[in-house]
Amino acid sequence: MLKTFASDLIKIKRKMIWFLIFLGPFGVVALEAVNFGLRYDYLTKLYADDLWGGLIGEARYLAIPALMLGLTIIASMIAGIEHQTNSWKQLLALPISKLRVFTGKFALAAVLLFASSTLLFIGIIILGIILKFGTEIPFLSLLKMAYFPYLAAMPFVAFHMWLSITMKNQAIPLVVGIVGTILSMMSFNFPDWFPWKWPSLENGWGDPIYSVFAGLGLGLIIYLMGSIDFGRKDVQ
Amino acid sequence: MSEFIIETNKLTKKFKNRYAVESVNLQIKKGEIYGFLGPNGAGKTTTIRMLLGLAKPTYGSIQIFGKDMKKEKLTVLKKVGSLVEYPSYYGHLTAYENLEAIRILLDAPKSRIDEVLSIVRLSNDAKRPVKGFSLGMKQRLGIAAALLGKPELLILDEPTNGLDPSGILEIRELIKSMPKEHGITILVSSHLLSEMDQMATQVGIITKGKMIFQDSIETLRQRSKSKIAIKVNETEQAWRMLLSKGIQAEMENKQIYLPHSSDEAISTVVEELIHNRFSVFRVQEEKKSLEDIFLELTSGEGSL
Ligand SMILES: Nc1ncnc2c1ncn2[C@@H]1O[C@H](COP(=O)(O)OP(=O)(O)OP(=O)(O)O)[C@@H](O)[C@H]1O
Ligand SMILES: [Mg+2]
Repeated sequence: MLKTFASDLIKIKRKMIWFLIFLGPFGVVALEAVNFGLRYDYLTKLYADDLWGGLIGEARYLAIPALMLGLTIIASMIAGIEHQTNSWKQLLALPISKLRVFTGKFALAAVLLFASSTLLFIGIIILGIILKFGTEIPFLSLLKMAYFPYLAAMPFVAFHMWLSITMKNQAIPLVVGIVGTILSMMSFNFPDWFPWKWPSLENGWGDPIYSVFAGLGLGLIIYLMGSIDFGRKDVQ
Repeated sequence: MSEFIIETNKLTKKFKNRYAVESVNLQIKKGEIYGFLGPNGAGKTTTIRMLLGLAKPTYGSIQIFGKDMKKEKLTVLKKVGSLVEYPSYYGHLTAYENLEAIRILLDAPKSRIDEVLSIVRLSNDAKRPVKGFSLGMKQRLGIAAALLGKPELLILDEPTNGLDPSGILEIRELIKSMPKEHGITILVSSHLLSEMDQMATQVGIITKGKMIFQDSIETLRQRSKSKIAIKVNETEQAWRMLLSKGIQAEMENKQIYLPHSSDEAISTVVEELIHNRFSVFRVQEEKKSLEDIFLELTSGEGSL
């Protein structure tokens, strides 16, 4: 596992992926900076009792499309590295199992998105301090804001990793990802079982952790199905 | 254990309703350079993909190093280096980084990268991004990658495809040196027999998915030995006369053919003919090139 991961890390050297990892959280923080900068008086009045809570809530709303779009593009780029010169045949003629190859790619996407989530976590803290929201930082809800949607989005990480690897033409996974992003943004009225709703962490029980559990569970199932399918198919 | 490094039994691959490879029995001994020949679309790449576990056979079995590929694929692949069709590489990485990404997966020592780079003479270009490489350099990098794990078996699919004559020569010399210097067995495919003539010890010829010839290159060369064609009037009588004198000759296309013989033998035959009052119109040497034989063999199956 570590070997495939280390090998994949070399392959994304000097790739736009690193920039995207940074761009996603930076974009969210920058937009919130503009949001709070322009409407400072209005928003600070609105969230007067809980300034940090207000910032976190606003950021969470923006982070969902950034996450959904980000995972789509990252999965596509990771697979694209092998598609470009058709390196699958070289990679899979090496003495490593296809399961490990698939797992390595999935792990890479997951780790990169985790890094993005962490940057968002740090970025929002910095923004809150700059906005003078005080030093009583609500770390727990910040952690939830940064990492829960990411965990709840695992089914999409697994699905997109499989789809991007399966299709040589990356237009299809990209379109699917964009549609998914839009769905996740209008998911409030959808029923709880609808996976596109999970990253918003809204559910009937009123506790975000249920969305996280659902995401991790389905994510695991899709990852297993994806790796079985990848293992079964002939290499292009 | 069988004496063969690679042995396939009725290896078959079907796409939809078409056979790309049909009942192929490859047999490759240790230390051979096995030339796997066939025209475009013959099924070479498909066979090689199955040997490497990239595609699953529809039917039949593969034994490599005496091990069943279905059961012990990863054990077998540890000792196999491969290059399938056009080279695979990561263009944004340098040659060194390309090899490093593979080396990690093979658990080979770091020093091995410099070794293989020097074998394919890319040491000076190691730090350059591969997308700026010429096709020949990319092909050599592909061979370097195939050599990383110190393989005992090298499977190369058209390694000289698209190269200029000097590039072809270079790769050929490289391939020829392997069994000698490293004791490697090599399967190399091509659609040019002439290319194989210069390096292969064994040849397998495949066309339309079927193996039509598998033997040493010597056996194939026998077929290309020159013959002496003699054109006379009264061909049949002349032929009978020669046979009656105990001279081996064949008659075909109203000509008499003698197996390749010494100058003296030919002059004796001509003397006999003239002595018996036949008119000798022409005496000429007819030589089939390996390519002619290859074309004859592969088109015998009924060409397109
Ligand atoms: N994935 C596939 N799906 C359907 N048909 C295929 C597939 N791969 C190969 N074929 C068919 O199988 C036949 C054999 O192809 P293959 O690539 O093995 O030939 P080849 O001997 O390597 O030819 P070339 O010299 O052109 O490389 C061809 O008719 C090809 O169209
Ligand atoms: Mg081919």
